[in-house]
Parts: sequence; C-alpha cells; structure tokens
Amino acid sequence: MAARSRPLSPHLQIYKFTLTMANSIIQRGTGMAMYFGTLLIVLWLGAAALGDGPVGVVNAVYGFWLVQVVFFLATWALFHHMLGGIRHFIWDSGNLLDPVGRETITRIQFVLSIVLTVGAWVLFVWLKK
Amino acid sequence: MIDRAKIADPTTHYGSARAATRHFMTQRITGALNVLFTIFFVWFMVRLAGADRAEMVSVVRHPLVAIVLVLLILNVCIHMRIGMNEVIEDYIDDEKTNHLAQTANLWFAILVAAITVISVVKIVFWG
Repeated sequence: MAARSRPLSPHLQIYKFTLTMANSIIQRGTGMAMYFGTLLIVLWLGAAALGDGPVGVVNAVYGFWLVQVVFFLATWALFHHMLGGIRHFIWDSGNLLDPVGRETITRIQFVLSIVLTVGAWVLFVWLKK
Repeated sequence: MIDRAKIADPTTHYGSARAATRHFMTQRITGALNVLFTIFFVWFMVRLAGADRAEMVSVVRHPLVAIVLVLLILNVCIHMRIGMNEVIEDYIDDEKTNHLAQTANLWFAILVAAITVISVVKIVFWG
C-alpha cells in the first residue's frame, strides 16, 4: 500500500481566537517568566549568604526603576498564574466548562489578578514609603 | 463538550501513557501547596525587600521561616521543572534538541534549588 502522509490536526490558526485561548498562552508565559525570574531570588539570597557588600549591590540594582517595573510585572505573573491554577482545579472537578462559565471565570481571574497586584503594591510598597 | 464522564473514561487517552498521570498529579499537588506558599512568599518579600544583611539574617534565622522557605524552594523547583518540560515536549520537535532541553531544564531546577537552599542553610547556621 502506498505511503500517504497522515492528516495533520488543525492548530491554533484554524480557530477563532478566544479569551480562554489567550489566557492559556498567558498561563504558560507567566510560568516561564517566573521560571527565569527565580534567578532574581537566587542572586538575592546568594548575595545575602556571601556578605554585606553583595547584598548592597543587589539592593541597589533591584531598586532601579526598570527592575522595579520587572518586579511589578512579576507580582502580576505570580498572582495570575496562581489564580489560573485555582481555575484549573475548578475545571478539573468538571465545573464551569460550558461556554459562558469558562469565559466568566477567565474574566474574574484577570480582574482578581490585577486587583491583587495593584493592591499589594499600594499597601506594601507605595503607602509604606 | 468535555465533561466529567469523558475525563474519567480511560479509553479517551489523554497525554502520555507512561508518566502523564504522575506529572499531572505532582503538578497539581505542588500547585495547591504553592497557593499556600504564596501567602508566606508575599509576607517574606514585603518584610525583607531592600533590607540590609543583618535584618535578613535575623528574619531567615527563625526556624519556622527557614523551614518554610526551604520547603517553598523545593516545591517551586519541582513545579517549574514539570511546567517547563511540558512546554519543551510541546514545542521542540527535533528529538535530540528536545532531550537536551529537558536535561538542561532538570539541571536548571536542581541548581536553583541547590544555590538557594545552601544560601539559606549558610545564613541560618553561620549568619
């Protein structure tokens, strides 16, 4: 029998782009960002183990406004990824998988992650100063 | 529609037949624990962000803080290793590169865990 290539499964570009699709990519994106973001913790705790000088250098670099922007985005990544995990627990239990439910829960996730991020920075960073 | 019955049906074959269930469960267990660790992590960062070394040592030296911190690091490293492996499995088609990337991923997770845990141990016992 002549070999014929197997039919390919349709990929992302075939489907209409939806909020849940975008959020699925964001879940992976935030996860991967935090994966490399652990290096910021490695440097910080490593410096603390080494001595006063290294901690001073790390604190000075981390206090730079551009790095502070990274930390702000990392805070959102942490909260959004965490809420995404809770959303997956809800989906794993077989709940809210219908078209309306899954869109609603995704919208709630975005609102909560933004509220938690801004709230944390207002309470613990901006008002603290 | 994917409902409870379809997820529960073993004949629908979701994911790898060998390790998928273990990865699925480990990812969810570490994920659930990470939700709890997040509360500690936020407190830890708020408490020590920008702090000098003496203050960091005084906080990290507390046994409860040190133990939770080490458990958090190990839990996060297991979780992020599985997560990155999923991405590698999905998107790196060349088999050799795929395996190389998975090995690099494993070592990245081990090194992150090792350096941070050693740092915490050093701070706890030797200041």
